[in-house]
Amino acid sequence: MRNWMSMLTLNSKLALGAVALGAIALFATPYPGSTVTLDAKELALTVSKDADRVEAPELAAWIIEGRADYRLIDLRSQGEFAQYRIPGAVNVPMAGLIDAGLRRPEKLVLYAADAVRASQAWMFLRAKGYTGAYLLKGGLEAWKDQVVFPVLADNPTAAERTRDEKRRSMSAFFGGQPRSASSVSAGGAGMPGLVTPVTPALPAVAAPPSPMGGAPARTKKKEGC
Amino acid sequence: MTATTIERRPQPYMNPYLAGIGLGLVLLASFVLVGRGLGASGAFNSVIAWVVNAVAPAHARSNEFIAGYLGDGTESPLKAWLVFEVLGAFAGAMFSGLLAGRAKVMTEKGPRVSVRTRLAMAFAGGMLMAFGAALARGCTSGQALTGGALLNLGSWAFMLMVFAGAYAVAYFVRWQWR
Amino acid sequence: MTAPFFQYGMFGDETSLVVAFFIGIGFGFFLERAGFGSARKLVSQFYLNDLAVFKVMFTAIVTAMLGVTYLGWIGWLDLSLVYLVPTYLMPQMVGGLVLGVGFVVGGYCPGTSVAATATGRIDGLVYGLGIFAGMFTFAELFPWLKGFYQAGSGEATTIPGAFGIPYGIVVFAVVLMAVGGFYGAGLLEKKFAAAAGE
Repeated sequence: MRNWMSMLTLNSKLALGAVALGAIALFATPYPGSTVTLDAKELALTVSKDADRVEAPELAAWIIEGRADYRLIDLRSQGEFAQYRIPGAVNVPMAGLIDAGLRRPEKLVLYAADAVRASQAWMFLRAKGYTGAYLLKGGLEAWKDQVVFPVLADNPTAAERTRDEKRRSMSAFFGGQPRSASSVSAGGAGMPGLVTPVTPALPAVAAPPSPMGGAPARTKKKEGC
Repeated sequence: MTATTIERRPQPYMNPYLAGIGLGLVLLASFVLVGRGLGASGAFNSVIAWVVNAVAPAHARSNEFIAGYLGDGTESPLKAWLVFEVLGAFAGAMFSGLLAGRAKVMTEKGPRVSVRTRLAMAFAGGMLMAFGAALARGCTSGQALTGGALLNLGSWAFMLMVFAGAYAVAYFVRWQWR
Repeated sequence: MTAPFFQYGMFGDETSLVVAFFIGIGFGFFLERAGFGSARKLVSQFYLNDLAVFKVMFTAIVTAMLGVTYLGWIGWLDLSLVYLVPTYLMPQMVGGLVLGVGFVVGGYCPGTSVAATATGRIDGLVYGLGIFAGMFTFAELFPWLKGFYQAGSGEATTIPGAFGIPYGIVVFAVVLMAVGGFYGAGLLEKKFAAAAGE
């Protein structure tokens, strides 16, 4: 074997090596396709520590501060997005999630029409290696109830008063109105399971929907060679 | 380029297959590190976009081709990946050329052509090349090399046509080289 | 799966420019090592007395292709995140033809003209100026050329994807083609070496 190898020139050895590697590569499937890998343990740990979610008032505070280190993803249809959206949200329908040009390390806050949809998208993104994906806790409903139409105490204590003041200004910022605790509980009286929502309709959006990104609106430079 | 490097006898070129493996590994490193291949003509585009934007900003914005290289205007068009890559290529080639004693101020041409004619041909060739690269969305590095390694359909079609075009005309410009 | 590193956020935009510079150094180094800083060496390809362009280019393609195939196969590199130039078949073929003519007329291509300029070739520098002039002309004519420029699907299409052939088979075919081509190149060089008088 050694003698036979030493007979060959360097170029022939390289050619042989290439053909051998090419022959093994006959069976290769280099594109991952639609299969994903999940670290179940890590995922479970994240969920149990509640480190997968952002509370609605927290998100509201980020928006008011004008923070730009996250991206808010609205997973609903275009029509729903045009009707109402959380300021700064980008509309990325489920089907286009992978091609949306989201960056893996980016902090992504997801919300959808219902919590299940959003968590499906969250699972999907995490599986694809988007380590910065978060859910908006309670989804759009929580945003409505806690931020746009927050509930104020009827006979506030001192602590509650400062809290309510915050809620009032937050609600005003997003074009909503605070509600009093009594009105909410009055509406909710009766069968607890059949509570009809008493929150008023969400305010209409003023600005036209931006195609890509409220906070970090960046047009990518073309760089083709 | 100092006098000593000019005087030194230039070393022979590397075994083409070893150089090819080296180039291929650099390309592979680029795929692994930044998820893109090598390129060159795109850097020229960025520089053109930068110049036009500096001279006539309104004109640059209105031209769709140039505007593509400007992005949203928050960053200089020169702050582009390919521009830095080409700067590196300049440094790398100079390093290799100096090391091998091949760096020398001269004009590459055959014995039967004047320097002036050769330079005019080089300019014309550069213009044609740029036109082709712009139309094809890439040059020999960005399309043929990078796309070739990724089995890109358009790149392989492009590559065949490059060889076809060059072989078709080679006979008519042989006076330039021989 | 951890690569491409940039897409997985291991470094940011600024660092990617530093990486670009270092990758460029390797690029320019091997171009010059192969002799691609010399127009006469490059155009010899088209007079068949020195097929180094073909050899270097296809060796590089085979090396990188085998690299991405294996790295993708073991799940270490997510190939779907590696940028593919979108396919516009007609403009790319016509562009290739024009570029090929420019190659043999001018003696360089954009990357090699940089290597030539870096090693003192005046024609390389002038060629680079020609590229600028050509790019500028193209940009100015773009409103008229746009229709043709955008003729095609615009999707990133690979050969295995377009023809429905398994990826590995195409890889093996390219390797065989390259190795066969290298053998043929040696024969051609022998035949045409006498005709060349460098």
